[in-house]
Amino acid sequence: MNAKTETAIVTVPEIAVVDEIKDEIDEVKTFYFRFVDEAAGRNFRIRSGQFIMCTVFGAGEFAVSLPFSPENDRLHLSVRSVGKVTRALHDLKPGDKIGIRGPFGNGFPFEEIKGKNIIYVAGGIGLIPLRSSIVHVLQHRDEFGRILLLYGARTSKDLMYTYMIDKWLKTDGFETHIAIDNPEPGWTKHVGFVNTLVERAGIPVKDTVAFVCGPPVMFNAVIRDLLKRGLKDAHIISTLERHMKCGIGKCQHCAIGRTLVCTDGPVYTYKQIKTLGEQI
Amino acid sequence: MNILEKKKVPEFMAALAADYDLYGPIVHPDSKDVLFDRAADPGDIALQAPIPYNPAKIPFFPQRESILGYTYDRSTGDVRIAPADLVRPKALVGIRSCDLTGLLCLDRFFLGQEFVDDVFRDHRRKTFIVANTCVRPFPQCFCVCTDSGPSAREGFDINLTEAGDVYLVEAGSEKGEALVRKLELPAADEAQTALKDKIVDGSIALFDEVSRENKAWISRATNRLTTGFIRNEVWEYIGKQCFECGACAFTCPSCSCFNIEDLNGPDGTTDRCRTWDSCSFEGYTKMAGDHNPRRPVEDRRNKRFFCKLSYSQSRKYLRPGCVGCGRCVRVCPGDIGLPTVVTAIRREITE
Amino acid sequence: MTYKPGVCNFCGTGCGHNLRVENGSITGVFASPGHPVGKGRLCVRGWHIHELLGTKERILHPLVRRNGHFEKVPLSEALDLVADRLGGFAGSEAAFWASPRASNEDIYSLVKLARSVLGSNNISLLSDDGHREAVDVLGGSCGIPAMPGSLADIAKADFLLVAGADITRQNPIVGSDLHLAALQGADLVTIGARRTQIAELSRTHIQNKPGTIALVLAAMAKTLIEDGRAAREFADNRNSGFEAFAESLRGLNMPDIERLTGLSSDDIRGVALRLAGAKRAMAFFSSGISGLDRDTIAVLHNLFLLSGHAGREGCGINPITGICNIVGGYDMGAVHDLWPGYAPVGDAAAAERLKTVWEKAPTTTAGFEVNALLADPEKKLKALVVMDHDEDTGRFAERIRSLDFVVYTGAYANPFLESAHVVLPAASYVETDGTFTNTERRIQLSRAKAEAPPDALPAWRIFSEIAARRKQDWGFRSPENVMREIAKVVPAYSGVTYAKLEKDFGIQWQGAGAGTPAFAPISGAFQVPETSEEYPFLLLTGEANHFWHRNTIMRRTQIPMREYNALLLLYPNGFVEIAEEDAKRLGLRERTPVSLTSAEGALTSFTRISKALKPGAAYVPYFLHETIARLLPSAWGSSSRGEDAAVPIRIEKV
Repeated sequence: MNAKTETAIVTVPEIAVVDEIKDEIDEVKTFYFRFVDEAAGRNFRIRSGQFIMCTVFGAGEFAVSLPFSPENDRLHLSVRSVGKVTRALHDLKPGDKIGIRGPFGNGFPFEEIKGKNIIYVAGGIGLIPLRSSIVHVLQHRDEFGRILLLYGARTSKDLMYTYMIDKWLKTDGFETHIAIDNPEPGWTKHVGFVNTLVERAGIPVKDTVAFVCGPPVMFNAVIRDLLKRGLKDAHIISTLERHMKCGIGKCQHCAIGRTLVCTDGPVYTYKQIKTLGEQI
Repeated sequence: MNILEKKKVPEFMAALAADYDLYGPIVHPDSKDVLFDRAADPGDIALQAPIPYNPAKIPFFPQRESILGYTYDRSTGDVRIAPADLVRPKALVGIRSCDLTGLLCLDRFFLGQEFVDDVFRDHRRKTFIVANTCVRPFPQCFCVCTDSGPSAREGFDINLTEAGDVYLVEAGSEKGEALVRKLELPAADEAQTALKDKIVDGSIALFDEVSRENKAWISRATNRLTTGFIRNEVWEYIGKQCFECGACAFTCPSCSCFNIEDLNGPDGTTDRCRTWDSCSFEGYTKMAGDHNPRRPVEDRRNKRFFCKLSYSQSRKYLRPGCVGCGRCVRVCPGDIGLPTVVTAIRREITE
Repeated sequence: MTYKPGVCNFCGTGCGHNLRVENGSITGVFASPGHPVGKGRLCVRGWHIHELLGTKERILHPLVRRNGHFEKVPLSEALDLVADRLGGFAGSEAAFWASPRASNEDIYSLVKLARSVLGSNNISLLSDDGHREAVDVLGGSCGIPAMPGSLADIAKADFLLVAGADITRQNPIVGSDLHLAALQGADLVTIGARRTQIAELSRTHIQNKPGTIALVLAAMAKTLIEDGRAAREFADNRNSGFEAFAESLRGLNMPDIERLTGLSSDDIRGVALRLAGAKRAMAFFSSGISGLDRDTIAVLHNLFLLSGHAGREGCGINPITGICNIVGGYDMGAVHDLWPGYAPVGDAAAAERLKTVWEKAPTTTAGFEVNALLADPEKKLKALVVMDHDEDTGRFAERIRSLDFVVYTGAYANPFLESAHVVLPAASYVETDGTFTNTERRIQLSRAKAEAPPDALPAWRIFSEIAARRKQDWGFRSPENVMREIAKVVPAYSGVTYAKLEKDFGIQWQGAGAGTPAFAPISGAFQVPETSEEYPFLLLTGEANHFWHRNTIMRRTQIPMREYNALLLLYPNGFVEIAEEDAKRLGLRERTPVSLTSAEGALTSFTRISKALKPGAAYVPYFLHETIARLLPSAWGSSSRGEDAAVPIRIEKV
């Protein structure tokens, strides 16, 4: 009864080993893993923007967006310790086992955005779910126009994946604007909330798609400024997080408006979000 | 149509009990509470009893069940995962049409969306359903308003309708027909066949006027819910009276929200338990971290009525989520069962 | 059939439920529509009791502490050890903490062990002792040392008053009865410093300044007397105590009352007149944490007597208990100075009765409240026996750790284990028969539904096994035997048998009655907590929905625990609620770190802005023990004034 549809491990978690654990920023670690059953590993095909349900044995299961790209990227999760289960995950050591169900959700609409300028706007750990998209887009650099990352965090210590950003910057035509909320000694880049980068970066508007991810306050401010700049609401894409328990559209904890984030999302355009009639 | 004489009911029950665990309305000898429950003895099932206090979803969607068990020995790295074994043939005997309608909602929802819910599917796999026409409504009933009674039209293997000393028997499936043949139930004559419609019409006529009148109001409420034309004051009025007990969801034949927790036993085993949940609870949508998209109780409270009555939500059930059983009215400490809410919306419309 | 009828074991309401039992474990619960109390309703706690009862986190083995560590030992060895060690202390050196969650049979057995076998009157219910105030006031003036009325009367009353209690959180089904009565037209009035849910649902909410409920009630009484609305039969009766009561009100004047309570005299008068005009009026207050002090209860009673609403059917003031068997615990005499049946320790007739039944005279040496013993380092306390409950060691943790011998008996682990020398696993309440007496004095029988773990005995058996080892054979072979003896010892239980209890959902015991009810004596002090420039806020405490008592038990549930955590996710270090106006004035937003300072202590917390409070009031829910213990250590765990115990504090941004 270990139901596996063609695309996902649905009910019974597949066992994986944590190979390596990397400290990212305060309370955030990255866990590199591989499936114990190699066949399961080969069958585990994801689309950028999807999520999985991760079991920490003895503690429970949590939903987490996949930061790695479907192509040539090591399987890993970047997770902030915020609750009982993620705290237990943070206590794991290399060699410990975890369980994986998924991948679930719709993923980013890459086919529809080919040829366009891409702007990523991330706040704090909101960069995690966008990472797989950035890696994908950079791998297919020639299929897109300008590529910008506007990234902000509370302090310089809260900036995720700075080593990745440095690597991405080596790709031609990848621009980054980084900001922190308050001045810090030694900080030479912009100071201010991330939405202020929208104005500052002089983002393109025509043929442009923005990916936005971050805490609700940041999200709302960024959306406001993007719309003010003239971006179309159908061209603003976000990935939403909700309290998820099943991942397969049954428990309904993640209901938002008339949709379920786990099966209808987690990726939504702002045009869709507006019609959901709920707070983000 | 066939005829089952009342004195032959024990034989009918025994035939089912040979192949299935029997579930049905049972009257507790001391408390006199009627509950839809597993019968230790087929004779315990009381076809004449009033509608059970609990919904008939329980055999397939129990209040709490282990859906997976595992052990993890961290020192050796040994993980053993054992899915729960849920396949036991079950016969639901004497299920009322509202409950059956609710069950069909759950079927469509659990089995008919993008993913199939394995746990529900395994419970549901080998089942036999004997529906029971309500020849007279119970005080809280309004199935005539929600198109779910008083007699079932689909989803049953056998439908019984009480008519004096006999039950009129309609088979709704091959399994049902096979049972009719096996018990050699005599065919109904023309007069008996005609009786069915008369009984159902008679039952409908017995619903009080308010329930019948509410039919139009329920569809108008549905309309306003879907279009969002309900003032916040109405939700505040409802939310103020919500005791946040969860009873409306627990007693609803079509409510299916659940929570999952991994519970550790003293012997090193863990049970992945799924339990009923309710959208009225604050922790239902609260995320780890600190964000809750639904905070005030009225914000959470209206979700339930949205789910039961809006067109967009009805898509997942292919009908309204409310089946008119009236249970939420009886269990609610705040008096905000679904009909009260419809009344509040109706008041808003007429004012 | 898998559903077995029973009684919910959380609060004192005593709702009926059906527990689902499959393969020996409890897998579900459903409300009982036929039950006269719940009438098919349960609260969020009641709907999740199966999560607690299905928990695997049980105490399974007898444990004895040796060299600082627990060792599993055979049950007989543990019992021998307990009997032997307890026998070595003088009665005055041992204390017994009974659980108000335990059955009458279990509590009675502990009472008998203490008073008959071990010669100690040091016995208390391990709970907030607010109920004692109600017992004394109502016992003294009505002859019924508990709630005099019935919950069924609520539907028949035309005036309902809730004084202080956040009743839809604490006893939600009683709250529901009140709300449903109000929907049917009853005049529902609430008094309290917080605008609670029941306040929202009432026709009038009198939002007084914290700590002034007695004053508001006194003002109502004064108004009625001055308007000549006092029921004549009391005013004319010289023995009723009316004169004394009226005299104690004479010093009050309306301008002072308005200033101290923050209310207008017209509003007070309006409600008083509605009360006086009512045919049937009932008042409700909590006898637990958000309970009232003796004076407030006495004034409330006197007000109702004065307006003709006491000592009559369907009228009167009703303490609502927070734990399922507080009333039973008092009935059984788990009180240092009251023997079973409310007889004062030393009462000759009661001593004779006990001697006949117990075949041994009870000790008449005065006992002490266990809290008082622990609080006073001069008292020579050496041994403590604690029965299963939700409490923790509270502010006495250190003293308890220093005792020579501590026994903990219970079904679930509890902070007492850390101090225990011997732990005896007990059966949970669904694993043995037993009776529980709810807030309206309804003795209800709960039958065994599941098997106890092999080493877990029902508490009544544990205590009779210890007695047997001290050479006293009580002859208890079943809980029914114990009830037979209770019926001989507790007058109100006379004639009660399991056979009778099984029918019609239990029996409501009747008090002796004192003839015409009398006015309760009051101190007349009407002391009101006053703010100062240094401490401009008055801090209140109260209950929360998903939290029950000290939460050591609710923590084993999943959904209620998640709900409790949902709040604490936002406020991991606790919070203090203040009014929007105060927040603005102090420049505080939601979740601003603040320091709270009282005359007794200080701590930091976070703000939560609440519409339920008026400016000048602050509120901390009871489950934030730390906050309360730090700010008012003197009130913690001892007889406190509950909801109305306002503590002057200062709130500053940090």
